[in-house]
Amino acid sequence: MSAEFELTRNITIGQYLPTASVVHRLDPRFKLGAFAILIVAIAICNTYVGNLFALAVCLWLFQVSKIPLHYGISGIKPAIPFIIILAIMQLLFYGEIANGGTVYFQYGIISISSESIRLVIVSAMRFVEVIFLSSVLTLSTSTTELTHGMERLLGPLEKVKFPVHAFALIITIAIRFVPTFAMEMEKMMKAQASRGADFGTGEWWRIVQRTKDMFPIIIPLFNVALSRAEDLILAMEARCYMPGASRTRYTQYKAKGIDYAALGASVVISVVMLGIPW
Amino acid sequence: MTQPIVDVQKLSHVYMQGTPLSHVALNEVSLQVQAGECLAIIGHTGSGKSTLIQHFNGLIRPQSGKVIVNGMDVSQPKIDIRSLRRQVGLVFQNPEDQLFEKLVGDDVAYGPFKMGLPLEEVKNRVKWAMDLVGLNFQEMKDRPTYALSGGQKRKVALAGVLSLQPKVLVLDEPTAGLDPRSRLELLGRIRRLNREEGLTVIFVSHNMEEVSQLADRVYVMANGKAVCEGTPRQIFGNQELLREHHIGTPESVDILYRLRERGYDINPGAFLPEETACEILKLIQR
Repeated sequence: MSAEFELTRNITIGQYLPTASVVHRLDPRFKLGAFAILIVAIAICNTYVGNLFALAVCLWLFQVSKIPLHYGISGIKPAIPFIIILAIMQLLFYGEIANGGTVYFQYGIISISSESIRLVIVSAMRFVEVIFLSSVLTLSTSTTELTHGMERLLGPLEKVKFPVHAFALIITIAIRFVPTFAMEMEKMMKAQASRGADFGTGEWWRIVQRTKDMFPIIIPLFNVALSRAEDLILAMEARCYMPGASRTRYTQYKAKGIDYAALGASVVISVVMLGIPW
Repeated sequence: MTQPIVDVQKLSHVYMQGTPLSHVALNEVSLQVQAGECLAIIGHTGSGKSTLIQHFNGLIRPQSGKVIVNGMDVSQPKIDIRSLRRQVGLVFQNPEDQLFEKLVGDDVAYGPFKMGLPLEEVKNRVKWAMDLVGLNFQEMKDRPTYALSGGQKRKVALAGVLSLQPKVLVLDEPTAGLDPRSRLELLGRIRRLNREEGLTVIFVSHNMEEVSQLADRVYVMANGKAVCEGTPRQIFGNQELLREHHIGTPESVDILYRLRERGYDINPGAFLPEETACEILKLIQR
């Protein structure tokens, strides 16, 4: 109850936990690359043991990057409803598509087979693994590093006129302002609650009423967002920001042995994961 | 001594409890406010003032310690929280951000409507609240909120809280960011609310002129602790205390202390502008 309005605590995007581990010190370009390889491997891998291995790798990554596991677990909590709904859908309707294996139960379009059960378990595991991986990545990499890394990796796309820098800037700004707006929203909710507003107490079927209850927060929040955007534009122009101008960089990345090792390790892990036949 | 209207006993609060980022905002703070009083809370940024005042209307529930407002124990989960929020009107920093209705009158009426009052009563309250902050009801009620000046918007927001007819008015830096004229006017309004309407006023401020002129009692906070309290005269008249806790002073107090350091016989407790002027006049005429 006392955490009624503590919104900022629940937002893990852009939350960075500086523990100065090996993972934190990796070159962001290589780190992004290594994590991307792992995620692709997880997406392909459809064996039980392969996924168990991937789960073990995730837990090991938490250990190596010195991040308490409950950060990863708190990232899974909001995803649980999705995982459950996904699992039910797959269990009921995927028997036909995921053919092969023994069919245990069939009624109309509902069909449960050993293959569909495997699909359910494997996709739930994949979900957890991907959340763990992205938690480790965002908790061990500051948002600036992330966007720098992304910008560098997307660099070659400049050749086909893709606005890489603008894209990276948009992402940086968006991520940067998530906690800011969470705080604004918290303040707005408190201010309106002080004037007698209440949120989410009406019956859930009265959707119109519940939507109307949100107006006193949403409308001022839009106002604040727009005026902040204007301030940001002014601040950028005051420092001579020009879209599309060529600019040098303050941070220069140089790959070290450990970075290549990380990339190599991710390839090896992926090969092992996909090579497991069960 | 009568029962205080706001009674805070050994209140502590930790933000982000149970994470590596946890941070102690309040540490065993105790504070009593009598009905009808005007209390100023001062302290540097991060000293816990905002956290403290959010306990007064139950936006934050006590983690440990007690907050009793007008006989209601805020730590009890079963109390009528809406009734508590009606009794304690909390006005946040830059309250003009919170306006959301198109018309001034509608925005002020939001609180009373939420209470489910009949239309006639809502109208009376809106008129009463707008009068108190110095907005003409007939003239202003149908103005669009976005076309108001910053000072007027703040008055509308204040009226929006006053229309709940609270017993205690809590203000977080009520005059921050206003031009000197709107500032003086708003201060006058707040003083009148306290002296004439009998509202208990608790306000947070960084402006020591304001504190010295408005408050009956000053409460100084630092690092989540209450370091001292007293009347403005006791606080500003005690140079050791001011130095020890790095409390800023009104300009008049500065002048008085500087004169005293140069060896003039002067009473540093006379910090109201008129009193300071009198003291200096006495020196000149001697």
